[in-house]
Amino acid sequence: MRELRDWLAASGLCIALATGAAATGARAAEGEQVTVTGEVIDTWCYYSGVMGWYDTVVGSAHHTCAMWCAAGGIPVGILADDGTVYMVMKWEGDPEIADGTAMLDVQSQRITANGTLHKVDDINYLMVAEVVANEGIVNRSHEDFGVVPPFAFPDPNKDK
Amino acid sequence: MRILGMIAAVALLAGPALAQDFSEGSEAKSWNLTGERKARFAAKVVDAPCALTGDCPEDCGAGLRQMVLIREADGKTLLTFKNVQPIFTGATVDLAAYCGQTVTVDGLLVGDPEYTKGAEIMQVQIVTTADGTAAKTNQWSKDWAAKNPDVGGKGPWFRRDPRINDRIAKTGRLGLGLEEDQKYIEENF
Repeated sequence: MRELRDWLAASGLCIALATGAAATGARAAEGEQVTVTGEVIDTWCYYSGVMGWYDTVVGSAHHTCAMWCAAGGIPVGILADDGTVYMVMKWEGDPEIADGTAMLDVQSQRITANGTLHKVDDINYLMVAEVVANEGIVNRSHEDFGVVPPFAFPDPNKDK
Repeated sequence: MRILGMIAAVALLAGPALAQDFSEGSEAKSWNLTGERKARFAAKVVDAPCALTGDCPEDCGAGLRQMVLIREADGKTLLTFKNVQPIFTGATVDLAAYCGQTVTVDGLLVGDPEYTKGAEIMQVQIVTTADGTAAKTNQWSKDWAAKNPDVGGKGPWFRRDPRINDRIAKTGRLGLGLEEDQKYIEENF
């Protein structure tokens, strides 16, 4: 009997853990007020490796490509110093940001932003309310990696 | 033995929500991406601010809001990052057309778990509606062309987009100023 009770308890726990994702699927929530400091990045190139390794697709090396991706509607992120990526879903309160225009000027820059964090299924969704500091581009990654991808900086001599 | 049977029973009950392989039936094309795996599944299409805060416009923002997929099998919310076009374009324009619908998406999940930390990063290549109509996610460039009828020149949109070219003209391709660009040119070309 005790064995059965233990089994039911254990299985109940497992089922609860296993179905947790369903219970925490998209739903409206209050969120948590946070202040985040980090570099504004192109998240597709960062996660997918399509243009190169992680260190090469941040900073000045990747600045032009980051603008392309933001303008193309790819989610913009803030890469914090501990490696956490915050996916920006609102910019200064505006949710209509997927044409990238509002965030073109801050690509590759190190900023500090206040906002509301919603963590759902291991993604950190950040509703940026206000940018409170901007240090500009501090990661001069082109000095180590050149421009990534190289065609983001066309050879000026070829146009002559 | 009984314990093993119990564990198997629990696994069966919990199966749908454990890490699943969604590759069955996928016709997605490989892009040779980090951690790439094919994925085809039914999901509800919703804009992210709607899913997160309950602020839900009928058109999901018409391409101007980031879009998520709420997977039918396990209720997991996936942020979409990319459409099928190899031109630096996301999936918002393509997916907003299916706002509020449950569709079947086919594409790639990508990322090294060490970096994604559990997050599932999705490139959507094909969307199939309930009536079986399938469409590639290739509408972004048409949408851009429609919104920029006066932009001339040759080449892909990202070479001609005035917003980007204006910024390059002011702060350079490195974003550090025109002097830094000139220095880079002298050292590399």
